[in-house]
Amino acid sequence: MKETIIIGMSGGVDSAVSAALLVEKGYNVEAVFMKNWDEEDTEFCTAAEDYKDALQVCEELDIPLRSIDLTEEYWEKVFKVFLKECESGRTPNPDVLCNKEIKFKAFLDAAKEMGAEKIATGHYAMIDYKDGLYRLKRGKDINKDQSYFLCRLDQYQISKSIFPIGELNKDYVRKQADKLDFLNFDKKDSTGICFIGERNYKNFLKKFFDIKPGEIIKESGEIIGEHEGLMYYTYGQRQGLGIGGGFGRKEAPWYVSDKIIDENKLVVVQGQDHRSLYHKHVKASKVNWISGSPPDSNADITAKIRYRSLDTSCQINYDTQNVFIEFETPKFAVAPGQSIVFYDQDICIGGGFIESRANKNIL
Amino acid sequence: MIYFDHSATTPIRPEVLEQMNIVNRDYFANPSSVYKTGRKSRSLIEKARFQIATAIGAKSDQIYFSSGGTEANNQVLWTIANQKNKHVIISSVEHPAISKVLEKIKPYGVETSTIPVDDKGIVLTNELMNLIRPNTGLISIMLANNEIGSIQPIKEIIKKICNHNIPLHTDAVQALGKIEIDVNELGIDYLSLSAHKFYGPKGVGALFVNKNNNIKPFIIGGDQENGLRGGTENIAGIVGMGLAAELAIKDQNTCVTKLKKLEKHFLNNLKEHIPSAKHNKTNNLPGLISISFPGNKSNILMAKLDRASIAVSNGSACNTGNIKPSKVLKAIGLDDNINLSTLRISFGKDNTIDEVDFLIKTLIEIL
Repeated sequence: MKETIIIGMSGGVDSAVSAALLVEKGYNVEAVFMKNWDEEDTEFCTAAEDYKDALQVCEELDIPLRSIDLTEEYWEKVFKVFLKECESGRTPNPDVLCNKEIKFKAFLDAAKEMGAEKIATGHYAMIDYKDGLYRLKRGKDINKDQSYFLCRLDQYQISKSIFPIGELNKDYVRKQADKLDFLNFDKKDSTGICFIGERNYKNFLKKFFDIKPGEIIKESGEIIGEHEGLMYYTYGQRQGLGIGGGFGRKEAPWYVSDKIIDENKLVVVQGQDHRSLYHKHVKASKVNWISGSPPDSNADITAKIRYRSLDTSCQINYDTQNVFIEFETPKFAVAPGQSIVFYDQDICIGGGFIESRANKNIL
Repeated sequence: MIYFDHSATTPIRPEVLEQMNIVNRDYFANPSSVYKTGRKSRSLIEKARFQIATAIGAKSDQIYFSSGGTEANNQVLWTIANQKNKHVIISSVEHPAISKVLEKIKPYGVETSTIPVDDKGIVLTNELMNLIRPNTGLISIMLANNEIGSIQPIKEIIKKICNHNIPLHTDAVQALGKIEIDVNELGIDYLSLSAHKFYGPKGVGALFVNKNNNIKPFIIGGDQENGLRGGTENIAGIVGMGLAAELAIKDQNTCVTKLKKLEKHFLNNLKEHIPSAKHNKTNNLPGLISISFPGNKSNILMAKLDRASIAVSNGSACNTGNIKPSKVLKAIGLDDNINLSTLRISFGKDNTIDEVDFLIKTLIEIL
């Protein structure tokens, strides 16, 4: 019998074309619409646009679409962690956790229960199998590569996954969607954190936290403003500080360089080139190695400290708890809480959470 | 596909469909027009009105057609928003077409009290008297519940409130063709019906209004339906509803016997093969069974049944997959885990014992 693949269908163009490719390859394809977030706390659900788009695609492909509710899992495993991280002044990345705990765990489990051999998603990343190991590779479309978000997956999770569009570029995917009469072919790419969507991040967080104002200080200690709570700011942030350096001013703009959590103080420096905004050393915790073991010490490793950044060559050392990274060149705005993701050429070898950063090797 | 979701909707009867096709093809004239073809359209509607009235023991001039049960309910409730006595009493197991409307009309000063139900989903009529206020303008209690099939003691309720002169509305969309409805015997003031629940078409329903009432139009426009429902009539839909109602009453005994047989067969087999399943028993609208499968999530069960081409439903879930514990199941005392493991199986007149056997066999396989 043909292999059954259950695809996570979001209503977006990427998963839609992924499904089409699987159908074309002759798999027995079924789609599942995952509900991870309660948009409103209304008692009865609102018929989501995304579901309608997913349904149209599935009808076009003549495959079943079913829904599963993972809101509880998402709340417990992703959102609670997100809130805790925010509260401690860090800059979390819930999408990394969502992949680890929801899409490639709760959804994978549900799909297997529903009779799937494997799951598929519309991620821009590739998988191959070499020397007994599954390898996660960057997506071909380098502007869209999403391996960063998949850095916490393990061998089992990858072995059960298919990324049908990993070898395609976005333009081509859209054109395919148009050709297949998918009504979502020109739907905007989703941006940012899934549950926040287009909303203002600060306003969203304000629903969950009290405002805890404090001082904005220069490195010298001089007070130059007030902030609304450290969780609303991230490292390297320039806009929304409410202090000079803005439009029409001659002086250089201010950037967040540090947060002093105990004193509830936000430290800012002037100018994007300020040395306090750059760090060469990073300590990362809870590092996941996709192969199951750390890379060879002589491997040529690069690392990314956030999704939208280029990776930089680095040396890594580790003890049982942490990985210590020394970059070849200092990195701008290293934010604790974000994922640091390691690559060996085109292979994503794993990732961890940034704990701290420094300019001397004293981590 | 094997269809066990007749409480959601029913397939249209072939003879009803045929009538509707004839009407759509041959009788397009506006029923408000006075020339010959218009008069024909009018007479078709009036015949259907008579059929509906007869089905529930009413008179023709007490029947108002609308777009469905939801609209009928809305019309009754919005009338409350426009009158002096704005307090409404409902049961804790009403459909959102009642409970959600009342939330929406709160800003108009409408206040709602809720009568709890017992563990079989039947309203505690003794509580009713404590809830009545001087400004209580309506009591709305469904005749039969859509999730668990409990049948409410409307007659008893009427007896209790007869001294208070409070109008009583009942949402009877689940009931027609399954239990006897006689508006005079029930003694109610308003009753909502929906055609697609008794093998008629979607998009058409009716409201019974006892004459001693001050019901207001909800959809405003032309003078159709005695000025209580504007908009050119859905002639084919109305004709379909009329015929479907007539046939539902004609076949009621056979149909109920069949439903009870299917139900019994299912429950016996369930008990034997899946003893862990829990039947949420009520006083039982024929054909509707609520079953909890502890340790299983209803949405996964439904997906598995769908793979086997079996259609059932779970509580008040919607298609985007966001499943919240059903309020009705909560009201009868199910905890959230059991609540979310509950399926509603609603048999129909054309289901067979073989189909029920296949359901049992599939359930055994997937559990």
